[in-house]
Amino acid sequence: MLLALPWAAGWFRRDAHRPAAYLNIVLTLLAFVHGSLVLRDVMAFGPATLHFPWLTVADLQLDLSFSLSLTNVVALELITGLSLVSQFYSLGYLDKEWALARFFALLGFFEGAMSGVVLSDTLFQSYFLLEMLTLSTYLLVGFWYAQPLVITAARDAFLTKRVGDVLLLMGVVALAAFAGVMGFDDLYAWAATDSLSPLATTLIGLGLIAGPMGKCAQFPMHLWLDEAMEGPNPASILRNSVVVTCGAIVLLKVMPLLQHAPVTLVVLQVVGAISAIGGSLVSIAQVDIKRTLSYSTTAYLGLVFIAIALQVPVLALLLLFSHAVSKALLSMSVGGVIAATNCQDITELGGLGGRMPATTSAFLVGSAGLVGLLPLGGFLCLAQSVELIGGRSAGLVVVFLLTNALTALNLTRVFRHLFLGQPLLKTRRAVEVNWQMAFPMVALSVIVILTPVLLIRLESLDGLLAFPLWAAALVVGSGVVGMVAGTLVPLSKAWSRSINPWLRWFQDLLAYDFYTERFYRITIVNVVAGFSQLASAFDRVVVDGLLHGMARFSLQSAEGLKLSISGRSQTYVLTVVAAILLFLTSLSWLLR
Amino acid sequence: MTATQTQTALIPDLDVLISRLLADEPLLADTPDHLLQVVNVLESYGIVLDAYSKNLVYQGETQLLNPFPVMRFFHEGFSLERLWKHLVGDRINFEYAEYCQKAMFWHATGGMDAYFDTAPFLEACDRIIRLRCRRDPLMAVVNRLFPAFAPESIRSLTTIYALGLFWRVMSDLFIDLAHRYRIGEVACVNDVVHHIRDGLVAAAANPITYQVSEGGEQIWLLPPEAGLTFLGDVAVPYVEAVFFRGMPFLGTVSYNAQAQQISPDQGSFRYGALYADPIPSMGAGIPPSLCMQDMFRNLPEELSHWYDSHGRGQVDAHVQICVSFQKSMFCVTNGAIAGTMPHPLDSNDLEAQQANRDHARAWAERLMGCRREALI
Amino acid sequence: MMLLTLLLLIPFLGSLLITLLPGDRSSDFYRRVCVVVLSVQCLASVGLLVPFDASEAGLQLVETFAWLPSIGLDYALAVDGLSMPLVLMNGVLCLVSALASRQVENRPRIYFALLLVISGAVNGAFLAQNLLLFFIFYELELIPLWMLIAVWGGGNRAYASTKFLIVTAVSGMLILGAFLGMALLTGSVDFGLNPIVPGALPMATQLVLMGALLIGFGIKIPLFPFHTWLPDAHTEASTPVSVLLAGVLLKLGTYGLLRFCLGLFPEAWHLAAPWLAGWAAVSVLYGSLAAIAQTDMKRMVAYSSVGHMGYVLLAAAAATPLGLIGALFQMVSHGLISAILFLVVGVVYERTGTRDLTVLRGLLNPQRGLPLSGTLMIIGVMASAGIPGMAGFISEFLIFRGSLQAFPLATLLSMVGSGLTAVYFLLLVNRAFFGRLAIASGADPNPKVLLPVPLGQQMPAILLSLSILVLGLAPHLLVGLSEAATTGLSQIAVTQFSGGLS
Repeated sequence: MLLALPWAAGWFRRDAHRPAAYLNIVLTLLAFVHGSLVLRDVMAFGPATLHFPWLTVADLQLDLSFSLSLTNVVALELITGLSLVSQFYSLGYLDKEWALARFFALLGFFEGAMSGVVLSDTLFQSYFLLEMLTLSTYLLVGFWYAQPLVITAARDAFLTKRVGDVLLLMGVVALAAFAGVMGFDDLYAWAATDSLSPLATTLIGLGLIAGPMGKCAQFPMHLWLDEAMEGPNPASILRNSVVVTCGAIVLLKVMPLLQHAPVTLVVLQVVGAISAIGGSLVSIAQVDIKRTLSYSTTAYLGLVFIAIALQVPVLALLLLFSHAVSKALLSMSVGGVIAATNCQDITELGGLGGRMPATTSAFLVGSAGLVGLLPLGGFLCLAQSVELIGGRSAGLVVVFLLTNALTALNLTRVFRHLFLGQPLLKTRRAVEVNWQMAFPMVALSVIVILTPVLLIRLESLDGLLAFPLWAAALVVGSGVVGMVAGTLVPLSKAWSRSINPWLRWFQDLLAYDFYTERFYRITIVNVVAGFSQLASAFDRVVVDGLLHGMARFSLQSAEGLKLSISGRSQTYVLTVVAAILLFLTSLSWLLR
Repeated sequence: MTATQTQTALIPDLDVLISRLLADEPLLADTPDHLLQVVNVLESYGIVLDAYSKNLVYQGETQLLNPFPVMRFFHEGFSLERLWKHLVGDRINFEYAEYCQKAMFWHATGGMDAYFDTAPFLEACDRIIRLRCRRDPLMAVVNRLFPAFAPESIRSLTTIYALGLFWRVMSDLFIDLAHRYRIGEVACVNDVVHHIRDGLVAAAANPITYQVSEGGEQIWLLPPEAGLTFLGDVAVPYVEAVFFRGMPFLGTVSYNAQAQQISPDQGSFRYGALYADPIPSMGAGIPPSLCMQDMFRNLPEELSHWYDSHGRGQVDAHVQICVSFQKSMFCVTNGAIAGTMPHPLDSNDLEAQQANRDHARAWAERLMGCRREALI
Repeated sequence: MMLLTLLLLIPFLGSLLITLLPGDRSSDFYRRVCVVVLSVQCLASVGLLVPFDASEAGLQLVETFAWLPSIGLDYALAVDGLSMPLVLMNGVLCLVSALASRQVENRPRIYFALLLVISGAVNGAFLAQNLLLFFIFYELELIPLWMLIAVWGGGNRAYASTKFLIVTAVSGMLILGAFLGMALLTGSVDFGLNPIVPGALPMATQLVLMGALLIGFGIKIPLFPFHTWLPDAHTEASTPVSVLLAGVLLKLGTYGLLRFCLGLFPEAWHLAAPWLAGWAAVSVLYGSLAAIAQTDMKRMVAYSSVGHMGYVLLAAAAATPLGLIGALFQMVSHGLISAILFLVVGVVYERTGTRDLTVLRGLLNPQRGLPLSGTLMIIGVMASAGIPGMAGFISEFLIFRGSLQAFPLATLLSMVGSGLTAVYFLLLVNRAFFGRLAIASGADPNPKVLLPVPLGQQMPAILLSLSILVLGLAPHLLVGLSEAATTGLSQIAVTQFSGGLS
C-alpha cells in the first residue's frame, strides 16, 4: 500500500495555485523518505514482490505486480530524489507562473508513472505506465500551450513516442498471445523453452526495443527530445535524466527475452553506436544551450543501449545512474542561465562565470560528473565500460571513448561560451538566480561529487574499482583530448558559418540534426497525409458518386421524401405509423 | 463585420497621435467608459503598488547579501497566520514586483545603471563586501572564487530599492487620482492625463538615494552627490524596460536559439505592457497574470460592476482588467510625454513649437508599433 | 415481473404522454418531462442488474407470448450478458442526449416524443429474441431518427437525411430479406434465435444469407465502403442526435453482427472470417486515414467511428472469448467516448459558430476560451487513442490480444490504425485548443466574446469522462457482466462444427 505514495502525488490536479505545489513537494519528499526505508529493508532482507490481481478474463490474466529488487528501488530513489530536487527548483524557476498548480499536478502524474515503471514486474504493466508517461510528457511539453513551437513540440513528442509504443504494444500483445503470461520472470522462463519461428522472435524483439528506443530518444526517434526542450526547464531536467532512464530500465527488464533474438541485439548495438556518435557530433553544432545538452543525452543513452546489447546490466545501471544525476545538474545550471539572461543562444551569452557562483559551479561539477576525466561517476563508469567491453568488441570501446571525447569537447565549448569571456549585451546585468533554484543546485552538486561513494556503497555494484590502469588511462586520455580541443576551438560569437563549403555543409548538417526533421516531413508525414487525402477524395468521388448514381436511379422516391420534410408535424407521425403498418402488412403478405 | 471595419479605420495613425499630443488631447479616446476603467484600474493598481513598494523598500533595507532571503516578503512582520496566508496564496504576489525589477535591471538603461559602473559605486560595494567578509566566512569564500557575484547582487538590490521609491510616488499619485475622481475633480480622460503629468513633474527632481548599514557602518550606495533623480534616472528607465521592451513570455515566445524568434538586441524588444496581448492573460507562462490577480483582489466595486455587464462578466474579469490596464498605461505614458515636453504647448516661439513637435513625433513613432487598438 | 417490458413501456408511454399532453408548453417543459421519463428508464435498466445473473451464459428474464403466430412473430424479450451493458448504455446516453437538447425551439413536443420512441425502440432491438421483433424495432428507430435529422438538422439536412434514410432502408431490406430467406429455406417460421445447424443449409446459401446480413449491418455499423452516410448525418444532426447516433444506434449494427451473423451462421462465419478480418483492417485504416484529412471537427469524430467500429468486426471475425469480450467492451467504451467528443464539439459549435479546424485556435484559453471543454476533449481523445487508464485501452488490448493469433496481419494493421487515431485527434486538439485564442479567420482574428458555458451543461460530459476512467482502471466491472455470455457466444462459433478454431 505504501508503495502507492508516489501515485498520491498525482491526485492534485487543478485545485488551488501554490498549495498544490507545496503539497506535491511534501508528498514527493515522503515518497523519497519511504523509498529510502524500503531500500534499507531490501538491502537488509533481500528483494520482495507485491502482487495484486487486476483483471482476469477468459484465458487472459493481468496482474499488478511490483518488484522490490535492489535495482528497482535504487531507480525509484533516483526518480523520487531528482523529482524532489527539480520540484523545489520549479518553485524558483516558475515563481511567476500562474498555472503552477497544473504544472505540479502534471509533474506529480509524471513522477507517479515513472516510479511505477521502474517498480513494475510485468510487461503489461510496464507498457501501461510507459503510455501514461507518454501522455504526461505530451501534457508537460504542451504546458505553455499558447506558444506555437510548443504545440508542434508536444505533438511530435507524443507521436514519436506513440510510434514506439504502438510497436511495443504489438510486441506485448504478441507475447501475451503466445506466452500467455506477462510477469517478467514467467516470460523469462517461457522464452527459454519457446518454440516460435526465428522470424516471429525477431519481430517481437524489435517491437520490444522500439518502445524504449522512443523513450530514450535513440536514433531515429530522437527528434522529440530536441523539440521537447520547448517545455519548462524543470520538466526538461527530468526528461534529460530520469525519463530516459525509465525507458532504459524497461529495456533492461526485457533484455533476457532479447537474448533469443540475436538480430535485435545487433540492432541495439548499431542504434546505440549511431546515437552515441551522432548525438555527440550534433550536440557540438548546437547553439541553443538546452539542445547542446539534450543531444548529449541521446549520446549517453546510446552507450547504455550498447551496454544492454552486450548483456552487461551492471554497466548499464552505472551509466544510467551517473548520467542521470550529472545531466540533471547540468540542466539545472542551464536553467539558471536562462532565468538570469532570458536567452538560450550561447553566442549571445558570455562572462557569467564570476557573477553566478551556484550556476557556474553546478555546470562544472555536472560536467565533471558526466565526462570521464576526474574520478567522479562518469569516469568510473567509462573505465569500467572499457574494461568490460574491451574483451568483446574493440570497435565499441572506440565508440565509448569517442563519445567521451566529444562530450568533453562540447561541454568545454559551452562552458567557455556561457561563463568565460566578456559580458555581452544580454549578460551585462545578470544576477545569480533566486535561492529556490540555487539551493537544489548546490545540493545536487554535493550529490554528484559523492556519486562514487554512493555507487561503491551499493553492494551489488561491488568491484567497481576493479578496472585496470590502462582502461583508466584511455578514458582520461580521451577526456583530456576532448577538453583540450574544446579549449582550442575558436568561438564565433556571431553565429557565423564556415567559409569552406565542405565544412559549412557539415556544420549545417549537424546543426540541423542530419536534417532528420526534414527527412520525416518528406517521407512519413507526406505519405500519411497523401493517403489520407486519397481516402478522403475516394470517399467523395467514388463512394459518394456510386451512391448518388443509385439515388438518381430512384430519384422519385427521394424527391418524394424530400418533399415530405417540409410538411406539417402531424404528417410525420402519420408517416411513422404508415411505415410501420406497411412493414407489418408486407410481412404478413410475404409469409401467408 | 462592419463593426470591425470601422474599428480598423479608427485606430489612430501617426499624425493623429502627434496632433493629439500637441493639442493637449489625450491619446486615449475621451469617453466616460474609458474614464471609469482607467481611474478605477489605476486605483487598484495604486493599492497593489503600495504593497509592492513597501516590500521592495523593506527588501532594500534588510536583505543585503542575504544568501537565503526566505523571509523577504514579510515586510509587515512575521506571524504564523501570515505564513499560512503566504503559503496558500492569499496574498499580494510580490514575485511580480521582482519581475519588473529584473526587467529594469537587465535592460540596463538610464542614469542609475550608468552610475553602477562608476568608481564611487564600486568602492562602496567593496567596502560593504570587506565588512561582510569579516563576519561571514561563506561570503569570504564565495567572494574569493567569484569576485563579481557580490557587487552584482548589490546592484540588483539597489535597483529593488529604487523601484520601491518610484512606486511609492506612483501609488500615491494613483490613489490621489481616485480620490479626486470621487469628489468630481477629475471628470474626463484628459484630467487623468493632466493629473499624472502634474504628479510626475512635481516629483521629477526628487532625489533617489540609498544608504545601507553594514557592520555598524552607514554606507551610501546612491549618495545625494550622484545627483540621481526620480524622473530621468528611475521613471524613464522603468517605462523603457516595462512599458516598451519587457521580457519575452515563455508562454508565447520560443526561446529556441535556432528558431530565432527573439531579437539578439534587447533594444528592439517589443514585449512590454504597451505591446501586450490581453487575450492570453492568466494562461500559462504569462507573468503579468500575477499582477492582474493582485489588482483583481483590490478592484473597486464600480469597475467590478462594470465588468459584470461587459465581456463574460466575472469569468473573464482578469482579461478585462488587462485591457483596462493597458489603456491606463497609455494614459500614464501620455502623462510622461506631456511632462517631458521641452516647452509649454501654448508657446508662440517657432523654435519651441518645432522642438515640441520633434518630441511628440519621436514618441508617436515609438507608439506606432504598440497596441493602438487599445486607444479606441 | 415484466421488467423488460417495462423498459419498453416507459419510453413509449412517455412519448405518448408528451404527444397527447394538452396545451402548448415551452420547450423546457417537454424537456423536463422527457428527462424524467428517461431517468426512470435509466433506473429501471440499472434495476435490471438485481435479478440479472452475470455468471449465466444464456438468456435470462425471458418474457414471451405469441403475437402473430401465423407469421411467426412472437413477442419475446430476454437479456443476456451481451445486451445488458448495451441496454444500460442506451439508458444513460438517451438521458444525456435529452439533457443536451437545450435549444429545441422548433416543435419541441414532437422532438422529445421522437427521442423517447428511439430510446424505446433501441431497447426493444437489444432485448428482442425474435428475428421479426428485432427487425420491427430496428426499423422503428430509423424513422424517428431520420426525422430528427431532417427537421432539426443543419443547413444541408435534406441531403444528409435522405441519404441516411435510403442507405439504412437498404440495410433494413437486406436484413429482412435474410431473415425471411432463412425462414423460407429452413422451412421453420418461428423466427427464433437458433443457430443454423451445420448441414441444415448448403454452404452457398448460408454464405448468401449471411452476406446479406453482413452488408445490412455493415451499413449500420458502418464499415467501409458503406460509411459515407455517417459523416453527412453527423454533420447535419444536432449534438444530442449525434450522441444518440454514435453512441447507441451504431451499436445496433455491431450487436446485430455478433448476435445474428456470428450467432446464426457459425459455420459460414468461420469460412468467411479471414475475409472479414481483412475487411475490418481496411475499414480501420480507411476510417483513420480519412479522418486525418477532415477539417470539420464533427466529420473527424464521425470518421473515427468508422475506424473504431472496425475493431469490433476484427474481434468478431476471430470469435475468441477474449476478442468478443473486447468487442463488447469496445462497443461500450466507444459509445461513451464518442458521446463525450460529440458533446464537446457541440459546445464548441454552439459557442463559436464553427467547427472548422482551420479557423479555431486556442480554445483552452483560461478566461476567454472554453477551458473545461478543452480538458474534457483531451480526456476524450486520449481515451479514444487508447491511452491506458481509460476504457478505450482495455477494449483495444482485449481485441488485439484476442485476434492476434487468428489473424496476425489484420490485427497488426488495426494497431497501426490505433496509432493513426492519435495522429488525427492530436491534430484536432492542437489546432482547436492550443495556441492563441481565435475563432474567426482573417487578418485580425480578435475573438468576439464567447458566452461562458454553465457547469450544469458540462455535467453529462464530466460524468461520462469519469465513467471512462473508472472502466479503464476497473475493467472487471463490465467484463464480469458479460464474460459468460461472450464466452458462450464464442462457444457457439467453436462447437458447432468439429475442429474449432485453429
